[in-house]
Amino acid sequence: MKPLNLIALLLFLAGATWALTRSEPVVREIQVAYFKAIAPTLKAGSAIETKARNLLEETKHSKEYQVKLSAIESEIGRLRIIESRFQALERENAELRHALNFKKATNFDVVAAQIIRRHPTTWWQTMEIDAGEDRGIGIQLSVLSNDGLVGIIDRPFKRRSSVLLVTDEKCQVSVRVENSPEVGILSGQRGEFDNNPTLRLRFLSKDAALRPGQRVFTTGRGGIFQPNILVGSIISVEKGSLDSEALVKPAVDLSDLGTVFVVLSENH
Amino acid sequence: MFRYNLSTVFLLLAAFLVQQFVPALTGLSHSRILIVHLVFLCAAVTVATPTMLLLAFIAGCLWDAHCSMAPITADPEVYTQPVESLRFGYSILLFAAMGFLMQGLNPLFRQGKWQFSALLTGVAIFLYLTAEFILISFVRGDFTVTRSIIRLLSYTSLLTMLFSPIIFWLLYRIAKIFEYSLYPEANRPKRR
Repeated sequence: MKPLNLIALLLFLAGATWALTRSEPVVREIQVAYFKAIAPTLKAGSAIETKARNLLEETKHSKEYQVKLSAIESEIGRLRIIESRFQALERENAELRHALNFKKATNFDVVAAQIIRRHPTTWWQTMEIDAGEDRGIGIQLSVLSNDGLVGIIDRPFKRRSSVLLVTDEKCQVSVRVENSPEVGILSGQRGEFDNNPTLRLRFLSKDAALRPGQRVFTTGRGGIFQPNILVGSIISVEKGSLDSEALVKPAVDLSDLGTVFVVLSENH
Repeated sequence: MFRYNLSTVFLLLAAFLVQQFVPALTGLSHSRILIVHLVFLCAAVTVATPTMLLLAFIAGCLWDAHCSMAPITADPEVYTQPVESLRFGYSILLFAAMGFLMQGLNPLFRQGKWQFSALLTGVAIFLYLTAEFILISFVRGDFTVTRSIIRLLSYTSLLTMLFSPIIFWLLYRIAKIFEYSLYPEANRPKRR
């Protein structure tokens, strides 16, 4: 080997060792600097992706959307009536709590965000939203849609955040099955890159009496997700010698998602 | 030569910007065109080993900055089996390994036979992604290969490889500007 190549190889190995031994805060700093540097192209790239998707969806579903729009308009009217009733009840509840000197139980607030990018990496099931630290978003906050749990905030940046989807293997959720005593840990499955990914519910009891269609909700245990968020519904149950596992269909259609809500609650 | 080497570094950085405009093809198992990897692999065959290693370091660092996820800190009593992620910096080693693979065809490339290197980019990307998947399986346990994964590996490698002639042409133009010969042995008389 030529001396110059040997020196280059040693320097390279030293550099690789340096990179591999960086702590999480240093990695975070590198990421912040990287995304700051590519911010203009990232924004432009996201805008093009969003426009292309919208255009495709518009042409594909224009009639469907008209039907949906009229249904949504009537739903809005119904919800406004419910909301006014809810506000009256909330006021009444606050007055009663005040009278009884109750402490506020939860501090629940949400931020609405648009999805600007889907699957920006090869292996991880993530997406990016257009809300970040400037709107109060921090790490590991729950992300929901109208239909249920979407995922958690993986990395928040100033004006955008990365969301780890519930379909990723790394996103584990402590859940319970409705109308049953069963609780378990739900997570995505590796290598599910099709449009209808399923989730795996593990650590169920050996004789778990579950049936397809039963809904799965978060337990609120574990310090990440709020309780009683719909995650999905049971597709099938596989009984093992020590425990049972179930396949779960996510409640949210992640391939057809536009707006999400980040829960800013501090009291889980 | 120095100016050409420096231009490959800038080309690699530009590839990171272009990559932001290339979405995943959801209809093809989320496969994508890996511009960054392609530029690195094509440049690797045209430069000497020290420059290739420098390119591998830059590409690996930035790619991991782009892709790495934060660790999840949850109650260990509830989440007893946390799922690990790959460490920041692992891509540097994978890029270097693929760079050495590309340099294996350097003698042919210097003779002007770039077509073999173009084909090898597809093989290198397939190996790169396979190695990445094996690493993920090793860190997380439970090695399972699905059809979806095979489709992702194949389509990504194939789609990316199709663009390699464009990158080689770009490198050829840059080399011409900086008066650097990519095929120094192409015009030499053959030995008897």
